[in-house]
Amino acid sequence: MLDKYDCLKKIAAKRTDEIVVTTMSVAMPWAELSDGPLDFAHVESAMGHAADFAHGLAIAQPERRVFVINGDGSTLMCLGTLVTLAQRPALNLTMIITENGTYEVTGNQPVPGADQIDYEQICRGAGIKHVFTIESEAEFDAHLDRHFTGEGPQVFIWKIEKASEPVPKPKRPIRERAHRLREALIH
Amino acid sequence: MLSSERIVQALEHEGVTHVVGVPDNGSRALFERLWAHPHIEVILTSREGEAFGLASGLYLGGATPLVLIQNTGFFEAGDAFRGTAYNMGLPLVMLVGYRGYKTMEPGAPRVDTAATFFEPTLNAWQIPYTAMHEDGDIEQIPAAFSKARETSLPTAVLIVPETV
Repeated sequence: MLDKYDCLKKIAAKRTDEIVVTTMSVAMPWAELSDGPLDFAHVESAMGHAADFAHGLAIAQPERRVFVINGDGSTLMCLGTLVTLAQRPALNLTMIITENGTYEVTGNQPVPGADQIDYEQICRGAGIKHVFTIESEAEFDAHLDRHFTGEGPQVFIWKIEKASEPVPKPKRPIRERAHRLREALIH
Repeated sequence: MLSSERIVQALEHEGVTHVVGVPDNGSRALFERLWAHPHIEVILTSREGEAFGLASGLYLGGATPLVLIQNTGFFEAGDAFRGTAYNMGLPLVMLVGYRGYKTMEPGAPRVDTAATFFEPTLNAWQIPYTAMHEDGDIEQIPAAFSKARETSLPTAVLIVPETV
């Protein structure tokens, strides 16, 4: 199993000008590492829609890598997005699914189908060609560069340890975060 | 009757770069014309909620998207609309097919709740809207873009079909 916090630290250490969209249990840990205009906490929220939001950013900004770090619960809320990602490929889109089978920010209730879902198969069945399931630190380190350089749409499934996170509360309201991101991208 | 050609011309005039949504019978001709368009990209989504997330990302990335869906899908998209375009304060214009409009006329044999729930929902969700019935109403499209830019909020233009 992976330690989510270690993985995020390694991504943050390598990150330069990529957009990073985070959701629920990742949003606040990521904000401690980076909270600039290109970091967008997709919370408070349309749960399940961070990936389609990031997809739109990636299409509009084809020269810039876009990360979306989604939970497994968030991913399940809009599985059709995986099909949309495949049928309109964005070569610069990296999606991460942090899988631990629980809704971390609401008390670790199990997500539907916890421990029996194969997200890699679901992604491949949706038509996404580049899908990687990562379970150990060694595998993670071996795939770290690919997160930044691999042809999108690509999905990395991080098998992470169970954890507990508070309800995410970003420092800035969503409207300010959105317009700050746009300013950074188009000016 | 509404001309899909005139609608596309209005979208071109507003600089629309992407049309995001889900087709239905009422928007079929419009989608077919858009698919053949040399500059406007059509992106189909698996459900309408995705269209609001995707279009919001497009807008923040510098594009000029338009959402094209039917009212039935609009209901499904409620939380996505609220949590992305509305809460982010984006001047996103949506064209929404008004399924069931004719069933609200007196004497209609049945009532389609997709129609009767529609405008009350738009009002409850604080979405400014106008309706297009015929070509003379196409000016509602530039008016909606102006309104969206003025308010920095989403607006809707309803496409009223000739038939049910």
